[in-house]
Amino acid sequence: MTAVGPRPAAGEVTAFQVAARDLEEVTHALADDLRLADMFASEADTSGPTVLRLVWANDALPEPCYVVTETQIEGDKYPALSDITPAAFVEECEIYEQFGIRPEGGKPLNRMMLPPHADLPTLGRKPPGEPEEIRAPHTVGGQAFEFPFGPVRQAGVESLYYGLVTSGEEVVDVYLFTWHKHRGLEWRLKGTTPREASFLAERAEGLSAVAQGLAFARAVENATDTEPPQEADNARNVALELERLYNHAAAMAALCQSTGLSVGQSAAEIALERLLRLNARAFGHRYLFGVVQPGGASSAPDSGAIRADLPGAYAEFRRTAAALLRTNSFVDRLEATGIVTADQARALGLVGPVAHAAITATGDALARFNVMLEEAAESVALIGEFLDAGTAAGAAQVPATSGAGLGWARSPRGEALAWVSLDTDGRITRARLRPASARNWRGFDDACRSHNVFTDVPIIEASFWLTAAGMAR
Amino acid sequence: MTLWFVRGLRRGVVTTRYPARPDASARYLPTPPAFRPDQLTGRAADRLARLCPSRALRRDGGVLVFDVGACTACGRCQAAAGPAMAASHEFELAATDRSVLIKRIPLRGEAR
Repeated sequence: MTAVGPRPAAGEVTAFQVAARDLEEVTHALADDLRLADMFASEADTSGPTVLRLVWANDALPEPCYVVTETQIEGDKYPALSDITPAAFVEECEIYEQFGIRPEGGKPLNRMMLPPHADLPTLGRKPPGEPEEIRAPHTVGGQAFEFPFGPVRQAGVESLYYGLVTSGEEVVDVYLFTWHKHRGLEWRLKGTTPREASFLAERAEGLSAVAQGLAFARAVENATDTEPPQEADNARNVALELERLYNHAAAMAALCQSTGLSVGQSAAEIALERLLRLNARAFGHRYLFGVVQPGGASSAPDSGAIRADLPGAYAEFRRTAAALLRTNSFVDRLEATGIVTADQARALGLVGPVAHAAITATGDALARFNVMLEEAAESVALIGEFLDAGTAAGAAQVPATSGAGLGWARSPRGEALAWVSLDTDGRITRARLRPASARNWRGFDDACRSHNVFTDVPIIEASFWLTAAGMAR
Repeated sequence: MTLWFVRGLRRGVVTTRYPARPDASARYLPTPPAFRPDQLTGRAADRLARLCPSRALRRDGGVLVFDVGACTACGRCQAAAGPAMAASHEFELAATDRSVLIKRIPLRGEAR
């Protein structure tokens, strides 16, 4: 293997070129110790080779540390990496749709991103054939039937289709169509400047506008060796923690809705509304859009507003959570519901509260809720620390230069990633956006199948607290 | 359930009948821009149209066409246009007729 460079922030990201013939062996070696965090492709032009990149995370270290392998794929096949690490399967499907290359062995690849019959532009060569449709027949084996649910649903405001295979009560199988919301964001980013692109990057997943925008901004900064001013970085971090707080309040409200606890839902939504109003007062936007920009922060928080309003809003959040944890009809519905085991979380490369609850606790909906409560407490403490350290608006000039870089941030749903490559004019030749939802939906069907009944599915969805937008992009 | 009943009584009603009064938090919300035609030149309009990430602005001869329905109130135009525009502080933008949301702003010194 040969190191390629130049590389940003030595020690945090290490990149290697791996020959296609060695890719299988290298993947075996890396999968022993590292988590496959992302996999994506790019190509300079449709006649040249496709470059396959695997992003590996070392979770054993306190700070994020990544290894990126880069492999040129000649022809239209590469080793079946999902046979080595199952976390690769979703991306194998996506890469087939977007670049027309596929893993060896002929395994069926499902439709992930591009709606059928739409003839939307792809990032590379069109695939030689349509991907498989994972739709099950409406009657399954005589004993079970498929219950089609969505894409327009009462509970969630996003377009998402569930194929629920049930015997009447128990969930036998579940599959998702997430492509209804595909917006071609990565395709749209090609040729834009980082400043233009940040507008779309933070909209990849609106509920992670700060986290995904920050991951993108850091990718650009790493690609161009740009150091954001410390106080601007502190401002971005304050926004990141405020984003986590309102998301966890929203997840709590969704859990109440899914368990039929309307009074609890109202109480959680009061906390949520107070947090959203605090966001508006602190940064000028309820959902914190436009705070992050490549090189720094567009606005600084009103620290007086945060110090005045956060304690009350968080106390509302805590009081509601404490009352819910004393309510048997709430706790009983979450306990042993939607279990994700530690092995499943590791094999699928899950992130955030879903992975944390699986690896350190029981992995059920209640464990995920408890992780969110712990994170919320941590966020409040961090906001105080960042405010004490000083915050300010401001940005370093991002030079119009070529380069490539990886960026990351810890979103409310877990690790958000972005990768960019820039041409000599500093315009984007390829941008990869990987919100946490893009990782964690692949654990959702396993959670639903783990001895759950039909009515548990909304509870599991609320406890995962994912977005269809983040998956469909 | 007693717990939630008591909590509800203690908390009281927190919602208001809409629109009883503008909520105090509304003044922090981002809002679409309001233009000052006497200060808006054709050159500035071209620059703003290029700048708008959601393509809510476009030039049509001596007029700047502003699609309020496409505006995300991101503030990029307001930061670039100086005195030619300011925040409108209007956020109740719902309309039953889409065309109501298309504004045509005459440009200073331009034939229409």
